[in-house]
Amino acid sequence: MGVQKTILVVDDASLVRLYYRSTLEPAGYRVEEALNGIEALERLPIMAVDLLIVDVNMPQMDGFTFLSKLRANESTLASIPALITSTESGERDFEAARAAGANFYLVKPVEPEMLLEFAAMLCGVPQ
Amino acid sequence: MAEFPVLTEEEFRRLCEYLYRRSGMIFTEAKRYYVERRVHERMSATASKSFTGYFARLRINAQNESEHFVNALTVNETYFYREDHQLKCLSTDILGERIRNKRKGGMIRIWSVPCSTGEEPFSVAMWLLENWPLVDEYEIEIVGSDIDTKALEQANEGIFGKRALMRLSPYLIGKYFSAMPGERWSILDDLRHSVHFSRVNIVEPNETRIQGHFDVIFCRNVLIYFDDASRRIAAENLYENLLPGGFICLGHTESMSRISPLFEVRRFADAIVYQRPGESD
Repeated sequence: MGVQKTILVVDDASLVRLYYRSTLEPAGYRVEEALNGIEALERLPIMAVDLLIVDVNMPQMDGFTFLSKLRANESTLASIPALITSTESGERDFEAARAAGANFYLVKPVEPEMLLEFAAMLCGVPQ
Repeated sequence: MAEFPVLTEEEFRRLCEYLYRRSGMIFTEAKRYYVERRVHERMSATASKSFTGYFARLRINAQNESEHFVNALTVNETYFYREDHQLKCLSTDILGERIRNKRKGGMIRIWSVPCSTGEEPFSVAMWLLENWPLVDEYEIEIVGSDIDTKALEQANEGIFGKRALMRLSPYLIGKYFSAMPGERWSILDDLRHSVHFSRVNIVEPNETRIQGHFDVIFCRNVLIYFDDASRRIAAENLYENLLPGGFICLGHTESMSRISPLFEVRRFADAIVYQRPGESD
């Protein structure tokens, strides 16, 4: 990887954050974390992030609400690519994710290879 | 420094009786030296000049002495990935059965009791991260409980010595710990936060009940310290803490069949475990 890319993982479960982190870091990404949408919105303006990996079910602010708010932002933050991860696999959930502004939707469990493939694609890393 | 106490038979008997009522742990003459050493430690720490004085202090629980004494007596020797064949059984067989009737994203609760300084519950978390491909699909809650509040404090800190890590590969140590000065290692914050710790005496139903229901309980190498009566009470308490169809793993020298008829024996490729009968939720 040329310039190191930064990924913000937004998930309330520390085990899941660690799982994604331990997949992404060895592949050369820098990984930041937020526990929910509120924290992610607070931290985004002060960090340069190339990709968001966002869980749906989180306390305080869920993933869809977070993404909608982010997409409504007037700064360049609004265009950071976002990958939704969720245990739900219904058509309605895909629709809700799209409406909120997700670029892709992965159904959990997310295999490490899959995560790396989508991370590379959305960060624009040549594979 | 207090003198090394030699307890009279009567004193020793009264102390053991007190300990039994307080913690369910049973000590006999065979353990006299071990108990006396701990009494000695605590007498020094509290500047007690005689055993009689110390025992009075213990019984009125001056400055929480009763807790300090129990802490001093509990054995806290453990290490990461101890008896990992049971962890293998957890990821290959047990969890597969537990999720059969759960919705995706549902909760899986695992209880390590007693958890001492945290090696066991953290091992469960690490093992699942490394070996269970569905780790991000379910909401996994790991609870570690112990009667020893000092051990729990240490568990919460998440700092370990070389001995605790002796069975972990350099790869795992590098991945989940950061080295500190003095051959100590600090566990990653995310891993540390993945386990909740609480103080529980497993022979006290009021204390076990509030922990809620679990899919899997690890209760290893503690029942051996109890006499038959306390052992049965503990087993019944743990039974109540299991969801129907939930599993309990004991130490490899222990057998639930000798303790309580409530459980069914399940023989998996990697371990023999016990199950609360009934349909999973």
